[in-house]
Amino acid sequence: MNNPTVRVLYIDDEENNLQAFKASFRRMYEIYTAISAAEGLKILENIDIHVILADQKMPNMTGVEFFKSIVETHPDPVRILLTGYTDIEALADAINHGDIYRYITKPWNDLELHNSIKNAYDAYKAKIDLRNKITELEKTNDELNRFIYSISHELRAPLVSVIGIINLVKMEGLYDSSGEYWGLIETCSNKLDYYIQKTLQYYKNTKDIPDHSEVDFHKLVNELIELHAYSDKDTAFNVSINQNVKFVGDAFRIEVILSNLISNAIKYQKSNEQNKTVNIEIDVNDFEASVSINDNGLGILKEHLEKIFTQFFKSKMHHGSGLGLFIVKEALNKINGTINVSSNIEDGTTFKITIPNAK
Amino acid sequence: MPNKTGKVLLIDDNDIDLKINSKVIKLSDFFEEIILCQSGEEGISYISKNLDNPDLLPDFILLDIQMPEMDGFEFLEIYKNFPKTFLDNCKLAILSSTLDFGDIKKAEANPLVIKLLKKPLYPNELQELLNKHSTLLGI
Repeated sequence: MNNPTVRVLYIDDEENNLQAFKASFRRMYEIYTAISAAEGLKILENIDIHVILADQKMPNMTGVEFFKSIVETHPDPVRILLTGYTDIEALADAINHGDIYRYITKPWNDLELHNSIKNAYDAYKAKIDLRNKITELEKTNDELNRFIYSISHELRAPLVSVIGIINLVKMEGLYDSSGEYWGLIETCSNKLDYYIQKTLQYYKNTKDIPDHSEVDFHKLVNELIELHAYSDKDTAFNVSINQNVKFVGDAFRIEVILSNLISNAIKYQKSNEQNKTVNIEIDVNDFEASVSINDNGLGILKEHLEKIFTQFFKSKMHHGSGLGLFIVKEALNKINGTINVSSNIEDGTTFKITIPNAK
Repeated sequence: MPNKTGKVLLIDDNDIDLKINSKVIKLSDFFEEIILCQSGEEGISYISKNLDNPDLLPDFILLDIQMPEMDGFEFLEIYKNFPKTFLDNCKLAILSSTLDFGDIKKAEANPLVIKLLKKPLYPNELQELLNKHSTLLGI
């Protein structure tokens, strides 16, 4: 087996001990010795040491004092304290402030000391490996974030330009000039945009840690209605919001949840319904916000109710993406909310959700 | 409906979007003059060089966020130092395709930004905003 080079620094004011240590272990480790703490520090500053052994009883600076003094400057090497007598106070001090890995009594037993050094090196290696992994992960994470960020901008910006051009075509009265082609382009563009937005929402939901900010449901719901009713002016909204207390929660996720539910309520209407209606009721107290979103739309088949929150579930009749309600459910899970749905083909659908108030 | 006596300044690095948005504004007949700048730097220098010439200054600015070199937020950092007499007479809205929650929050928190409009620019959204601020715009 190819053993790694383990670099050990041994500090002791007795030259004899240093020599004995060298004699016993020089074939196993790369050994550095120092006759005082000051000299040990010098070595430590110049050589990448893995394991430090220090005698407790030394003039000028004790082993524990030495370990304490390097906690900040040299946190990585694993420390072993050697002492000729059992001094409980020094021991407690060493554990509490010196970051000591082992405590070994003198005279040492070669096998015991060898094992301790071996274990200490393993601990050292584990610590360094873990740190490298964390750095690596942070880097990957960072790259992923930047990737997602640039996708959201670079991919979406030209698409939004296309939608803008279709708009202009409408404004100039050319929309019907090429048969149904403009309409088809518009449908495809909107679909693509929808998928980009949902993918980002999903990604952000899985990644971001819940944030706590104040949520004004009046403002939020009005903004969302304005946003989604834009494409469909036929729907009447009855909004009743009872918020007299401060609500603190994850503003992004709450917006995602309400936005998806409101947009669904508008989207899945009966086309022959004369009075398309969406009722939104929100009640906020010190503990939670209860939200009910009800529509007189298409309703959900009983056999589908179980599946609507699963990813990519779509009913054959409606052209959903299979992402909206899945994201709603995932977002609620993240912020400890609940959702219930009741629906039938005659009367439409009601979603009831609760979101805890984190104030 | 605002009378078309004002000037609008569009700042966007993307020339296709500049073209689309100026066309939308032209077709909607909201402004008499449309000034186009392809970067934040160009916008800043247009305003600086005309500070003594109020007739040439915009009444309304539509600013993009994602631009190379000077982005929208960096533009705002410089913009806020323009004389108060100008800032009081000119309103600024952001026009961006951003979905980034951080950008949206940052834009909404800036006192100089009256609104964050999302691309594509819809005439009625713009009209609504202009109506709301017509007194401020002085047009």
